[in-house]
Amino acid sequence: METLTFNYKGTKKLPQRAHVGVVGSGDLEVLLEPAEDVSEVVVRTRFDGYGPIWQEIMDRFFAVHDIKAKIEINDFGATPGMVSMRLLQAVEVSYDEQNEK
Amino acid sequence: MANIQETRSWTTRRDHKRKQLKSVAELTKGRIIPMANIVAVLEKLIASGDKVALEGNNQKQASFLSMALAELDAVKVHGLHMIMSAIARPEHLDIFEKGIAQKLDFSFAGAQSLRMAQMIEDGLIEVGAIHTYLELYARLFVDLTPNIALVAADKADANGNLYTGPNTEETPAIIEATAFRDGIVIVQVNEIVDELPRVDIPGSWVDFVVEADKPYQLEALFTRDPRSITEIQILMAMMTLRGIYERHEVISLNHGVGFNTAAIELLLPTYGKSLGLKGKICRNWALNPHPTLIPAIESGWVESVHCFGGEVGMEKYIAARPDVFFTGRDGSMRSNRAFCQMAGQYAVDLFIGSTLQMDADGNSSTVTLGRLAGFGGAPNMGHDPGGRRHGTPAWLNMITGDSAIQRGKKLVVQVVETFQQGNKSVFVESLDAIEVAHAAKLPIAPVMIYGDDVTHVVTEEGIAYLYKARSLDERREALAAIAGVTTLGMDISHKQRDALRENGLVALPEDLGVKRTEAKRSLLAAKSIDELVAWSGGLYTPPAKFRSW
Amino acid sequence: MMSKMRNSFVELKARERAQTVLDKGTFRELLGPFDRMESPHLAVQDIVPASDDGMIVARGLIGGQSAVVIAMEGAFQGGGIGEVAGAKFAGALELALEDHKKGVPTRPVIILDTGGVRLQEANYGLLAISEIQSAVVALREYVPIVGVIPGKIGCFGGMSMTAGLFSTLIMTREGRLTLNGPEVIEQEAGVLEFDSKDKLLIWNTLGGAQRYNTGLADVLVADDTTEICAAVEAAFAEQANEPRSRKVELFLSRLAAINPVKSLSPTALYELWGKGEKRSAQVMRQEEGVSHKKSRGRSWFAALTGDAVAAGKATSVLCSDVLLGDEEVRILAVVPNEHSRFPRARQGEVGLEEGWTLAKYVRAAMEADADKAKRRPIIAIVDVPSQAYGYKEELLGLHQSCAAAVDAYATARFLGHPVIALVVGNAISGAFLAHGYQANQIIALNDPGVLVHAMSKQSAARVTKRSIAELEAAAKIVPGIAYDIGSYATLGVLYELLENIHADAPTKEDLMIIEKTVLAAIEQARTLPRNLQNRLSSTAAQMARKASIIVRDKLQKQWA
Repeated sequence: METLTFNYKGTKKLPQRAHVGVVGSGDLEVLLEPAEDVSEVVVRTRFDGYGPIWQEIMDRFFAVHDIKAKIEINDFGATPGMVSMRLLQAVEVSYDEQNEK
Repeated sequence: MANIQETRSWTTRRDHKRKQLKSVAELTKGRIIPMANIVAVLEKLIASGDKVALEGNNQKQASFLSMALAELDAVKVHGLHMIMSAIARPEHLDIFEKGIAQKLDFSFAGAQSLRMAQMIEDGLIEVGAIHTYLELYARLFVDLTPNIALVAADKADANGNLYTGPNTEETPAIIEATAFRDGIVIVQVNEIVDELPRVDIPGSWVDFVVEADKPYQLEALFTRDPRSITEIQILMAMMTLRGIYERHEVISLNHGVGFNTAAIELLLPTYGKSLGLKGKICRNWALNPHPTLIPAIESGWVESVHCFGGEVGMEKYIAARPDVFFTGRDGSMRSNRAFCQMAGQYAVDLFIGSTLQMDADGNSSTVTLGRLAGFGGAPNMGHDPGGRRHGTPAWLNMITGDSAIQRGKKLVVQVVETFQQGNKSVFVESLDAIEVAHAAKLPIAPVMIYGDDVTHVVTEEGIAYLYKARSLDERREALAAIAGVTTLGMDISHKQRDALRENGLVALPEDLGVKRTEAKRSLLAAKSIDELVAWSGGLYTPPAKFRSW
Repeated sequence: MMSKMRNSFVELKARERAQTVLDKGTFRELLGPFDRMESPHLAVQDIVPASDDGMIVARGLIGGQSAVVIAMEGAFQGGGIGEVAGAKFAGALELALEDHKKGVPTRPVIILDTGGVRLQEANYGLLAISEIQSAVVALREYVPIVGVIPGKIGCFGGMSMTAGLFSTLIMTREGRLTLNGPEVIEQEAGVLEFDSKDKLLIWNTLGGAQRYNTGLADVLVADDTTEICAAVEAAFAEQANEPRSRKVELFLSRLAAINPVKSLSPTALYELWGKGEKRSAQVMRQEEGVSHKKSRGRSWFAALTGDAVAAGKATSVLCSDVLLGDEEVRILAVVPNEHSRFPRARQGEVGLEEGWTLAKYVRAAMEADADKAKRRPIIAIVDVPSQAYGYKEELLGLHQSCAAAVDAYATARFLGHPVIALVVGNAISGAFLAHGYQANQIIALNDPGVLVHAMSKQSAARVTKRSIAELEAAAKIVPGIAYDIGSYATLGVLYELLENIHADAPTKEDLMIIEKTVLAAIEQARTLPRNLQNRLSSTAAQMARKASIIVRDKLQKQWA
C-alpha cells in the first residue's frame, strides 16, 4: 500500500460533500469535501510505484474542474479510467440538488 | 520421347488411397471403425509425412481422434504436417513432443498459447505459418490439401452421411478439400443412427466413421456474464453506439467476442432505443450465437444472424427463432465458419474487437512475451478487403476525398481501455509481437490488425476517427489524444487535442453528448445470466459454469 | 419486452440496498464514510481500508415504523467482519434493544453478504461475531430479527450461524447459506467430499432454493426490489416464527434418521425434511460403548467431574452435573469420538450432532431450573479444533446446529445461568462460537497448546494469499490475528489467564486453582449484567478494543 498526496489551488467552491464508489477489487471510493482554501488530495492505493500516473490523473482532473476540495481516495487497484470516472461522479453528486440535506 | 509421357501415372493419389484402404479391411466393418481398433487403423491409414487436418476447431474438438492420434507409434508414423484451426487440447501439442507430428500450420492457440511458445522455442514444433481462419481454409485448396482429415460430427447413418447441426463449423470445408483430392476422411460421431435429422455432409465424401465413447468436446467460448461488465465498458459502448454506429449508419456487422462488445449488445434495447436507432442499425450479423444478443433479438433489432459455430446452451433458443438464424428443415441451426468468415470479410459494414497491445500507429496484437496465441478470425474481419465493390451507407461514409476514382472502406474498430488491470498500459512503444517473432523464428511479426486498416479507435477517453487522418503523423496524434495518461497520451497537449476535436478527428464523450456519469450498469438490458434466461423465455439454458442458482 | 428488465436487488451496493429496504426518504446513515470510522488494523498490514469498514448501519422507517438496517458490503474484503464492522453491527442491535426497553419497537433488518470473519483481523472478527450473536438472541425476545441473503457473496462462516438465529430468513435462488464454503471443505476433506468447481452441486446443496425447500430458510424471493421489500415488511406483520435454533428435538430426531455413510442427494432431503416440521420415525442405531480417544477436553472433564465413566463414553458431547463449592454445576465438553456416526466429526469437531446436543443439554438445565431463584452455572470445557468439514454437514445445516448451541448458551446466560468457558486447548472458529464464546466469563490456561483463532494457519495462509511467515510477521503487529493465547489475552476478554497449570494432565493442586477461579468467575457473572458488554470494560480492552468502544459511543450519539 502506498499513500500519495497532491495539492492544488482551486477557485470554485463545492455545494456539498459527496461519497462514491466502494473499496472493492478494481474499484475505489472517493470522499469529496468542500475546502476553504487549497485543494488537497490524499490517495491510499493498493499498488505501489504508480505515483507519476496518479499525478497525471489529478493534474488533468483539476485542470478541468477548478474546485477547492479535500479529496480522500481509497483505491483497490482501479485503472486510471475508473479513477477519473469516480472523481467525475463525485463532483456530479456534489452538485446534484436532490442530495442537499 | 513419347514413352516418357506414357509412363507417368496421373492417379498416384488415388492409387495410394486404395492401398491404404485395403490395408485396414480386416480392422474395419465396411466404413465403420470399431472404437477399439482406432489406433491400429490410424496407424495404417496415415503415412509418415502426411498432411493431416485435425479438428482443432474453435468450439468443437475431435477429442476422441486427437487422443487416438497421440497414441500412435512414432516409429511407424512420424513427421506429420498438421493443419489445424485451433490448438486447444494438450494432446494437440503432445503429438509434437512424441515425434508423431513435426510441422504445423494453424490459426489460433488460446489455452495452449504458453506451451506453444515454449515448444517452438525448444525446437519441438516447426511452424509453417500462423493464419487467419479463412486463409487457412483457402490454402486447403491450394498447397495445404490434407491427405487425412480427422473431424467430428454429431451423427452418421449407415451410408456415412453426416449430421453436424449447430456445430457444423468448418467441417464441410475440411472434408471437401480432402475428399476431392483422394484424401482419407475419418469422422468421429457421437452416435450412428438409422435416420439423420438432415444431411449436412453427404456420405460419398466420407471414408470412415467411428462411434466414440464420449461426445466430442464442445466449449462455450462466446458466453460473457453481464455481471462482469464494468461502467467503463458501458461508457465505451455508449460512445461507440453514438459516435460510430449511429454516425455511420452501421447496418451489418461482426462483434469480436469480449465484454466490450457484450456491453454494446446489451445497450441496444435501452440506450440504442433512447437514441431512436432501432431498425436503423445492427440488423444483420455475422456472429457466433452470443447469449448477450438475446435482448436485442427479442426487442426486434435483429433481422438475421449467420454463425461461425454454435454455442453451448443456445440450441433451443436458436431453434425457436428460425426467422433470425440459419436453420435447417429439421429445425436445428447450421453454422459454417468458412462462409461466415467470408461474410465477415466482404459483406459487413463493420468489425469491432479489442486487443491487449497497440502501438502508436494503431497496429494491434494479442501476442505477448511467452505466449503465442495466434489470430483466429480477427485479421480476416479486421481488414478492409480491396475486392469489395458494393456500397452501403457505412462503407461509402468512409470516403474522405472527392476524386472520381474512389472506394469506401470497411469500418474496422478497436475498442480498448487505456490501461488493463494492474495498471498495465495498452499503448506500447513497440509490440511484444516483434520480439516474439524473433524467439519463434517467424518471418513477420504476428500483428493481428494493422493500423492502416483501422478506421476508429475507442478508449474511455474518446474516439479517434483515424480514417479521417490525412497523414501518418495526424493519425498518431489522434490516437495519442485518446490514450489517456499512458506514456503515449502524455505526449500530446490540450491545445493539440482541441484542434483535433475541431477537425473531427477526435471526439470526447461530451462531444458525442455522452455523459460519463450516465454509464451505469442499470442501462444494461440484462445484468446477469439469469436475466438473459428470462429474456429468452427460459429457452436459453446456460452451462453449469455460468449458473449461480 | 422491456418489462423483462428487472429491478435487481443483488446488483445494488450495500448502501443502496439499505436505502431500498427503508421507506422512501427516511434513510439516515450512522457512522457513514465521512465519520471515517475505519479499521485500525488494516493500514498497518498494508491493506487499503474502507471509510465505513464495509458495514452500513442506517436508521429510518419500515412500513412507517422505526427501523434499523444493517448491510454488509460484499465487495470490501469479501464482506468479512472485522473489529469496526462487527462493532457497528453489534452496537446497532444493542441500541435497538434499548429502544425496545424504552417502548420504541425498532425493527431490525440485516442484509447479509459476507464470507464470515475477516481473516486479516481474525480474533477481532470472531469476538465481534460472538457479541453480534448475543445481541440477536437478546433482541429477538422483543421483535422478529429479519435477515435477507440476496446473493453475490452469500452468507458463510460465523455469520451463517448468526443467520441461523434469526426469526425470518429471506433468500434468493442465487443466495448461498452455509458454514464452511465449498473451497474450504475441498481443502480440508478433499475433492471427493466436495468438488468446489461443481457449481450445480454448490447451489443444489447450499443455495436459496435448497435451503427454502428443506426448511432452513423461510422465504424464497426473486431478485427483485419490490418482492424483497414486501417480504421484509410481511416478516414483521406476521406472527413471529419460533426460531429454528430452538427446535432442538425436531432436528435431533431428524439427524437420528439419517444414515451418514449412505449417499444423500439434495433433492432426497426435500422428501425427508420438507419446508415444515416433517420428521422420520426411523432411528439409526447408535453405537454404545467406550471411547479410547484421548484429548485435553476429555481429561479435564474427567478431572473436574470425577466421573470417569461419563468421561469415557462413546459420545462426542460429555455432560455431567457435579457439586462445585456448594452448588450444582453442569459441565459440558466436546471430545473426539471414534464411534461418532458422522465420519467427518470424529476428532473432536463440533458437527451436526454436537451442536444440537449441546443445545439439548443446556436447555435441559434451563428447564430444570426454570422455577428456581438461583440458576445453575454451566461450565464449557473448550478444546475444539474446528467445526466439522463435510458435504453432509453443510447439506444438513451445520450452521443451524451451531446456531442452536449459541442460542442455548446465550439464552441460559440471559436467564441468569452463569456461563463459564474454560479454554484448555483449541478454541477455533465456529466451534468456539458454538461452545464457549457466549460465556459471561472466559478462563484460559497459558499453554502453547491453547490457541484461539478463526481458521487453521495453513488454510488462513491459503485464503489470504500470504505465506505462514508473512502471517506470523503480521501477527506481531496485530495481536488479534495471532494464534497464541498470550496475544489473545491482550484483547482484554479473559477473566483470567492461568499460569503453570499442567494442561495435558492436571494435578490436584491445579484442580484446586481451577475450582477457585471458576467459583470466582461464577460470582462475577452473577454480579455483572448478563450481556457481554463487560468484555469492553477491562483496562486491556479499553486499549486493545478502543475502536469497538468508540463505535458504540458514536452510534449512540447518532442514534436518535
